[in-house]
This record gives sequence, structure tokens and C-alpha cells, in this order.
Amino acid sequence: MIKFHPTEELLVKYTQGELDASLCLVIGTHIDMCPVCANTVKDIEENVAAEMLNKSSRFATAEMDNMLEQIMSSSAPQTVFREPTLKEVSLEGKQFKVPPTLGRLGSRLGPWSKVPGSVWRAPVDIEGEQNINLIYMAAGAAVPEHTHRGSEATLVLNGSFADEYDRYDDGDFIYLGDSHRHSPQTAQEDCLTLAWLDAPLQFTSGVARLLNPFSSLFFR
Amino acid sequence: MHVMPKSRVTREYMSTSPSKTQEVTTEYLGKLLADVANTRSRRAFSELFKHFAPRLQAFATRQFGNEQTAMDLVQDTMTNVWHKAHLFSPEKGSPTTWIFTIARNIRFDILRKNKHRQNDVSAEDLWPVLSEEMSDSSEDNFALDQNILMQEIGEYYNVLPDAQRIVIEQIYIQGKSQQEVSDELDIPLGTVKSRTRLALQKLKELITAHD
Ligand SMILES: [Zn+2]
Repeated sequence: MIKFHPTEELLVKYTQGELDASLCLVIGTHIDMCPVCANTVKDIEENVAAEMLNKSSRFATAEMDNMLEQIMSSSAPQTVFREPTLKEVSLEGKQFKVPPTLGRLGSRLGPWSKVPGSVWRAPVDIEGEQNINLIYMAAGAAVPEHTHRGSEATLVLNGSFADEYDRYDDGDFIYLGDSHRHSPQTAQEDCLTLAWLDAPLQFTSGVARLLNPFSSLFFR
Repeated sequence: MHVMPKSRVTREYMSTSPSKTQEVTTEYLGKLLADVANTRSRRAFSELFKHFAPRLQAFATRQFGNEQTAMDLVQDTMTNVWHKAHLFSPEKGSPTTWIFTIARNIRFDILRKNKHRQNDVSAEDLWPVLSEEMSDSSEDNFALDQNILMQEIGEYYNVLPDAQRIVIEQIYIQGKSQQEVSDELDIPLGTVKSRTRLALQKLKELITAHD
């Protein structure tokens, strides 16, 4: 049972196409996993569409007839198929199923690299920036306490992790604004997440602060 | 908000009065899309165009503030409606919603092309609105055709004699086999078959006559 969902405000912006492609990817992947949000988005779509297309402009007749003629004599656009290119990811001898939205962008998944603390990450290259990663935490792993200059969205694809606030399981979507501090960790179970950052994270405690100049190497 | 060059203002498209436009129902727009999909009806598409193009233009002008870009969005969106009407499914939402999502995707791609040159993610990856299902999901395609068919047929249904309508309902709506219908209604299989044939023939006549 999914406990944590994107806010309605985020879902509206998602539906309007007002968010970064990379954040849309995280939210779209949550929607693949979450029938509740899939339904909400359907409602939002109906409402947004009705509102956005409710006013008509004054369209000159000649221009209209001209465009109509051009369209009806145009050749058909290329046919597109929607088959996901990535069905699952393998890591540490385990296979994880990939939801279709992420699967359709699967060719953009980069190689895995190891990060201190039994954590692995693989960047997903969206718009040439690397602010979105698959992050795999082995059982008993911890990311040092950190904060963000920007926002962070995390989607649990498989497994479970906890921070100071709560415990998160398959499908849970966590959105943290800036100045939120937290230290994610896993217990008996490992955890695969899709994580989006709009600025590099900042480690806040003890020795981990030494990592700050390099933090962008880890999660961005 | 949207300033038209003077020369264009001479004869504006105002023939549909606002009150009349508002009465255009979801079902009617769906029927027009089905006609475009099934028979490439230019008349149906013209009606769709006259309903949606000015709305898309108002939307795009608000979004871009640039008249040429706005017109490009209208043309791209309606071009997809003309060629891809078969991808519309009333199950998934209203025609207005479907056309809005096409426009939303085109807008998303236009805005991103201005910023990033290569290796762009396309909106279609995030929101597959215009993608064909792969062949292994042919059942969905079948369901879609069936839906459009049922939607059209619905209007002509009541014309059928009761005996034929009951048989058609059981087979095409409830999904029973002709043998099951024969057993349940306690009529010979041959009668079920002939009623089905006659009913479909009648429906076909009605549909083609109204096109
Ligand atoms: Zn949800």
C-alpha cells in the first residue's frame, strides 16, 4: 500500500507539462506504480483540458480554410511505438522490474558506480544534465546526513528505506523542499530508488562535511 | 492578448455563435473523431477543426505570446488529430482532453527545443499520447475498434426489432457465444444466426446511410 504521493499541486503541474522532464520522469514512474494517482491525474487532465481550451480566439476564415486544406493534404507523421526499451535492471546479483515510464527512457541509463556507504548510483541522462539517478542501497546501508540547496524527489522502486521522518516502501514518493535535513538508511532490506535533485546535496554532519566539495560526484 | 494584423480581421470565423458552440457534446465530438478514424471523413474533420482550432490558438497564444509559434502549435496538433484519430479512445477520456494532451506534448517539445539542442527527451516518452500499441497488445486495438463501433451503433440501436436487438446485445455487449444465446433464449441456433445477420445488415445500412 503506497503511503506517500505527490501533492495535487505537483500532479497539476505535471499534467500541464510545467515541470522539468526529469521530475516528470519520477512522477510518471510513480503514476505507473500508483492507481490512486493514475486516477487523480485522469481527473486533473479532464479539468485542465476543459479550462485551457474553454476560450476561442478569433480565427480569420481565410487563414482557417488555408490551414485546414494544408492539414488534410499533409502526409501522415511517422508512427511511434511505445515499447519500453528497459524491462529490468540487474545489480549485485538481483533483478529489479522497471516501470514503463522509466523503461521508455531506459537507453539513457548510465553505468553503475559505487558510492561510500554500500550505495550504488547510475545516472539517467535527461537533457544532458545528470540530476537524476537510480540509487541502490544495500541492506544496512546509510547515506550521511545531508541537506539540499534545492529540492529532492525520491521514488522507491523496490524495497524499503527510512529516515528521521518515516519509513518508505515500494511506490512511495517523497518530495523534500530545501533546508530539509535527513539521513536515509536501509535496515534488513535493500532498496532501489529513483532520485531527483535540483541542486547538489550538502552533507551536514561531522566528517561527512569533508565530502561536500565532491558531493556532486555522488548524487549529481 | 492576441493581436491580429488588420488585413486578417476582415472576415473572422464567427459563424458558430458562442451558445451553439457550448452545446457541442462530448459524444458528438467523439462521433466526429470516429468518423475521421473510420472513413477519413473530411466533413467531420472540418467540424472538429472549427471547434478546436480557435481554442488551441487562444491557449497557445497565452502560452507563447508569439503568434507564429501559436499557429504552429495549432497546425501540429490538428495534423495529428487528422492522421491519428484512431488512437483516440473514449474509455481514456473526452475528445477535448485527448486533443489537449496532444497540444500539451507539442508545447512541451517546442519549449525544450529552444533550450536544449540535442538528445532531447520527447514529451511522447513521458506521456505516450500518439504512440501505437505494439502488436502483442492487439486485444487493446480490438477493444478500441469495438468501442467506436458500439458508440456508433448505439444511435441506430432502437431502430432494430426487439428480437434482433436482444440477440445483438447478448453477443456484442455481454460477449456471449451464439450457442449460449440460443440456449438461454431457448431459440434454435439457426435463428440466432439469422437474427444476428439481419441485425448487422440493418445496422450497416443505417451507418453507411448516415455517413
Ligand atoms: Zn500516488
